[in-house]
Amino acid sequence: MGIRDLRVTNAIPRNRIKWGTVGVIVLLVFTVLFSFPQIYNNSSDWFKEKTKINLGHLPFKSPFRLGLDLQGGTHLVYEADVSKVANGSQADAVEGVRDVIERRVNSLGVSEPIIQTDKSGDSWRVVVELAGVKDVNEAIRMIGETPILEFKEQNTVTSLTAEQQTEMDKYNKEAEKKANNLLRQALAYNADFASLASKNSEDTASAANGGDLGWFSQGSMVAEFYEAVKILKVNEITKKLVKTEYGYHIIKKTGERETEKDGKKVTEYQASHILISTKSTADYINTDAWQATGLDGQELKKAAVQFDPNTGMPTVSLVFNDEGKKLFGEITQRNIEKQVAIFLDGQVISAPVVNEAITDGEAVISGDFSVTEAKTLAQRLNAGALPVPVTLISQQTVGASLGSDSLDKSLMAGLIGLVAVALFMILFYRLPGLLAVFALVLYTFITLTIFKTIPVTLTLAGIAGFILSIGMAVDANVLIFERTKEELRRGLSITQALNEGFSRAWLSIRDSNVSSLITCAILMWFGTSTVKGFAVTLAIGILVSMFSAITVTRILLHFIGPWVKHQRWFLGGNNK
Amino acid sequence: MTNFNFVKNKNYFLIFSGILIVVSLVFVIMWGLKPGLDFTGGSLVEVNFKDQRPANQEIEDKLASLVGKPSVIPVGEQGAIIKMKLIDEAQHQQVLSSLRELTGSTEINSIIEKRFEMIGPTVSSDLRSKSFWAVFFVLLAIIIYIAFAFRKVSRSIQSWKYGVCAVLALFHDIIIPIGVFAALGHFMGIEVDTLFITALLTVLGFSVHDTIVVFDRIRENLYKFSRENFEEVVNRSINQTLTRSINTSLTVLLVLLATFFFGGESVKYFVLTLIIGVTFGTYSSIFIASPLLVTWNRLSHKKGV
Repeated sequence: MGIRDLRVTNAIPRNRIKWGTVGVIVLLVFTVLFSFPQIYNNSSDWFKEKTKINLGHLPFKSPFRLGLDLQGGTHLVYEADVSKVANGSQADAVEGVRDVIERRVNSLGVSEPIIQTDKSGDSWRVVVELAGVKDVNEAIRMIGETPILEFKEQNTVTSLTAEQQTEMDKYNKEAEKKANNLLRQALAYNADFASLASKNSEDTASAANGGDLGWFSQGSMVAEFYEAVKILKVNEITKKLVKTEYGYHIIKKTGERETEKDGKKVTEYQASHILISTKSTADYINTDAWQATGLDGQELKKAAVQFDPNTGMPTVSLVFNDEGKKLFGEITQRNIEKQVAIFLDGQVISAPVVNEAITDGEAVISGDFSVTEAKTLAQRLNAGALPVPVTLISQQTVGASLGSDSLDKSLMAGLIGLVAVALFMILFYRLPGLLAVFALVLYTFITLTIFKTIPVTLTLAGIAGFILSIGMAVDANVLIFERTKEELRRGLSITQALNEGFSRAWLSIRDSNVSSLITCAILMWFGTSTVKGFAVTLAIGILVSMFSAITVTRILLHFIGPWVKHQRWFLGGNNK
Repeated sequence: MTNFNFVKNKNYFLIFSGILIVVSLVFVIMWGLKPGLDFTGGSLVEVNFKDQRPANQEIEDKLASLVGKPSVIPVGEQGAIIKMKLIDEAQHQQVLSSLRELTGSTEINSIIEKRFEMIGPTVSSDLRSKSFWAVFFVLLAIIIYIAFAFRKVSRSIQSWKYGVCAVLALFHDIIIPIGVFAALGHFMGIEVDTLFITALLTVLGFSVHDTIVVFDRIRENLYKFSRENFEEVVNRSINQTLTRSINTSLTVLLVLLATFFFGGESVKYFVLTLIIGVTFGTYSSIFIASPLLVTWNRLSHKKGV
């Protein structure tokens, strides 16, 4: 044992290095599996198939969260006009708008919509992000509408009078006769279906095109109609009338084809029809459970959350204007002990039972509310009472195909970049370079694991930030290795040189990374989703790289160091 | 360790950079930068024609009555990016159906809309002011940071001078990419958007990072080699950190080039800005920042004596 060896043991105990190495490997395995559980799951499936031994699947379910530019979708920014709202309650009013938009968006069936309020200077905004929405036009139309608040009472008339019934039956008999007559003509030899349709069809829109309805697939037509078309051959006409809720149809199938929609094969049909309409109960009377009262959002002054002084429970109070006071008095008068429903955008948001006639224009809805529920209800009522019109001020829509194309390209670029950096490091720094590449791979998986757990929404710019951070991650390694090389040249042993290299390089590494982190922090404030995405991934990358390049490489180098006899493994080709 | 006399030859580098800066400034003054949709507001549609793409003129004529004067940029074989004034959703749908009419087919997928962007005036003015403030705050933060990092440097040169030299090098690093984009905008119609600003700020962060490593070494060597004069110490420090400076920039450039050639279209010019900025950032931390320090030191000594 010489003096040198003593110094080595003084630096870091061998035991700690061994455990550190084990820790690094465990971390690598975990982060790889967490980032890409399908690697394990697929091998497990394969193993099960071969040996019938079930190894199960990993419990890591969370996917990467992709931004709209990578999965396709639309980003809408609305400006809310709060000029009619009293100072101080603007935030609540905008929150109400957000809620209304959220409910409308949910009815579109978009998965995980993001709807947030935002204030920029004096302007109140609602940001809507819809991933994979089919019909952006429809979404925009629905979101932009001013909400409609209506008070309705129970509908008492639900069946037709005898007179109305006879009239309807008579009308429908006539229609059937007329339709059968047309069917005979349509089925006659050499009949011109198109001209029959344009002369007789009561579906005026299609009649203009000779009855042609264009291409359609399952779900876009009523079931009876679709089934009838499905069993027809092309250019065949139905032998019997097809009855649907609209009336009697004579259908001619004019085409059939296979197309692809969202990656799935779909059969589409083309057909023409002649429609003879019939009447139903709804044509004579209102068949809904609720009927209008003439009272709506215009007569509601405001709604607010209050607490019942006796029970302490949250309630929602309503204040009507003069017109509303009169109408509400009448409505409550005739509906005592019955429900009155409040509709927002055609959906019931509350249906309290009337306890007594309320003639002072101030009502209280009590019930088993939580504070949040009461607050939501008040916001919804206010959204209908004090309409806050919204205007679309920015829209960014990316088609799904462009998104997935961009994603593939970025991943490819990242991989090529990673391989290029790895080659460079190994060629230039030999063994330490190889270890730095190992640290770099670990770095990649740790970062991906963090992206999944936070989760970070990955955008194209975000991936660019991540790729950039791969290039920067080895910076610390380069600093350390260059320093170690210098110390080796001064005649220190490998372990001593390593210790010197790490401790001297640390200051530079810290100082230089701080400046990039400052930039990232300011970019995050910048706020647009693209810029934010870039700054967040770059910042995470820089932080993780300080761990991987310093701690991980250090452990590995110390682990391997004592076995390395020749300095040239450390110095690369240019040592003398 | 390399042994090149950077300090002795510093005037060549300073003159070279001076010329680049002057040329860049001339470009910017002559042509200015071409602001993108982010900053001007307006709309953009990117479509793919299923069959033959109509001529640019045809598209422009067809849409003229609807959106004033659109500009059409062909993309690949069948695609086109059409930029126009701010339009609402109804007009957007009209644009699409007009384009469909152009193809002579009524089928819904005769054109595929790949992208639509619409930016209103409040949003674009917001982005303009935010960009300005972001640049301002990054510069301010970096100056404060450098001043803090070098507060304890002693001997012959005050710490704030490091800060000023580093900041001068930073201006050099961002003025050159700005000049390049003024030229790209003039000759190729390439626009600058918020991502361009982001790239410039990232370059600032990266470049100061490089400069700090060199200055750090100067600081260390001033203690170590107290017998050498300032110029020798600076030259030694540059030589010692040279491989490091070049190698770290090379790894960054490798990944940036990979992204430039293989990555998505929409970050292409963003990455190009980074490539130019990182290249000149490395150049300036070796050839500009430290030589400036020497020049300044010499000038102030002359005055002092």
